[in-house]
Amino acid sequence: MSKIKYIQKLLKAKEVSCVELTKNYLNNIEKQNKALNAYVNVTGGEAIKTAKKVDEKIAAGEELMPLEGIPMSLKDNISTKDIETTCCSKMLKGYYPIYDATVWEILKNQNSVLLGKTNMDEFAMGSSCETSIFGTTLNPHNTDYVAGGSSGGAAASVAGNMAAFGLGSDTGGSIRQPASFCGIVGFKPTYGTVSRYGVVAYASSLDQVGPITDSVEDAAIVYDCLSLYDPKDSTSIGSKTGTCDKLHNSIKGLKIGIADEYFEGINEDIISSIEEAIKVYQDAGAEIVNFEIPKLKAFLPVYFIIACAEASSNLGRFDGIRYGYKTDSYNDVNDMICKNRSEGFGKEVQKRILLGTYALSSGYYDAYYKKAQNLRYSIIQDFKNIFKSCDVIITPSVPVTAFKKGEALTDPIATYMMDICTVPANIAGLPAISVPCGFDKNKMPIGMQIIGNSFEDYKVFNAAYQYEKQTKKSDEISPYPEVKI
Amino acid sequence: MITKEEVLKIAKLAKLSVNNDEIDMLIEDMSKIIEYADAINTVTEDEDNEVEFYNINNSANAFNEDIVIDSYDRDEILKNREGGEKGYFVIRKRHRG
Repeated sequence: MSKIKYIQKLLKAKEVSCVELTKNYLNNIEKQNKALNAYVNVTGGEAIKTAKKVDEKIAAGEELMPLEGIPMSLKDNISTKDIETTCCSKMLKGYYPIYDATVWEILKNQNSVLLGKTNMDEFAMGSSCETSIFGTTLNPHNTDYVAGGSSGGAAASVAGNMAAFGLGSDTGGSIRQPASFCGIVGFKPTYGTVSRYGVVAYASSLDQVGPITDSVEDAAIVYDCLSLYDPKDSTSIGSKTGTCDKLHNSIKGLKIGIADEYFEGINEDIISSIEEAIKVYQDAGAEIVNFEIPKLKAFLPVYFIIACAEASSNLGRFDGIRYGYKTDSYNDVNDMICKNRSEGFGKEVQKRILLGTYALSSGYYDAYYKKAQNLRYSIIQDFKNIFKSCDVIITPSVPVTAFKKGEALTDPIATYMMDICTVPANIAGLPAISVPCGFDKNKMPIGMQIIGNSFEDYKVFNAAYQYEKQTKKSDEISPYPEVKI
Repeated sequence: MITKEEVLKIAKLAKLSVNNDEIDMLIEDMSKIIEYADAINTVTEDEDNEVEFYNINNSANAFNEDIVIDSYDRDEILKNREGGEKGYFVIRKRHRG
């Protein structure tokens, strides 16, 4: 079931060389990236170099590390030394980082094969990649629909067989929503378990990097490699326990929390798919625990205020002086900075910076930012209490399935509402996964979200794996990726 | 409803310039979002429960040992900006493109 394990098995048995495998993936990118727009930068030359190194190790009979030789993609907000890192913004076009993000450093040291950088909403602000300067990423299941966002490129790279796994980042659902839209697995780890060093910050207290994969086991393998303490990230803790060794644990007696509030206003196809999934759990011996979460409607404004406030502060560094977009003409230094920012940032980014500045400004700070922070504390306490009576919570990943290109940008509130199921995990720093659980009437994928208590990422993986085992066909893996569209 | 003056003041603080042709749309969008954000003020908490949030995992500040280590090379840092010279970023007082 695990693509990563299967690829390594073939590499070790010399049934395929890493160079051949990499070329297959690069060919597939060549064939379908024009239509899907998952990659904004393909790093084929470097990929072949790494693949050769892996083949040499195999020829010498050396052991392979868990992600060695695996072709993968990185979201374009993850810093890659000497490889352009743009956050899909005009502001960072032509920016070449002088250091690697820790997550990439870990993968690089394992000789993971980087195929390229993937598309995203500008500075991760959006739900459909439609704010990217490179244009929208389309859904491999049907190119009339978007792949989601903000890690839409990462999701399409995996769902379109253009990478064995991808790394995305999740501030309010940016890994889980595109994974749900594209019918694959997306995992947001417990806050602090994966380093944020070198990941261009949107909202530092909400951002986490995580894997987007074909299967739950693949996500667990990647997470176990990445969840290390990093002294370069002051909020880093690392993982207290591995997850791969607990995937096979029995879920008999597992307590699954369900709250009606999470199902209000949700598309009916999604509700019936989740209900069926819950039956699968019950058949396997899990118990259902009902709970209430009356403040759920206030979660989105809390999230939005905190995210925008932190963004307005984080994005203050982009002045166009040391790197990034530079205007053509200006009258003085202040004028230069204003023009660099106004011409370099897109409209959605500017709007969020303005809203964040508003929430932090004198006269509004107490009513918005301070109030949101206080509510955040009480939300965290609420979840702590909920997890006293259950092991995991099940919700839909997104209230809707993938929408058509251009449908999201019309109403800002309706767009933000799409994050209602995913933001609670970011507000409270909880681990959460989206796993595929069926299709809607338009044959677009549906995602189920499993949320766990802080540092109990292994329970989330265990519950997701046991569901997947019952429902997913096992003969879907090919080391020779086929063109999907 | 946010006013034009407020938007301009906030833009100045955020070092962004707002064009006249986009300000009406921006006022409309921001007003809608702020009105929506006001929902948080309908949630009442017991005053005793009002605890200010500091960080998610209750972790303490992490400080590094005060040891001098190699930092990034100046020339490397300057590579991202044309015209960097003698270890400095060059900014002209004013410029006409």
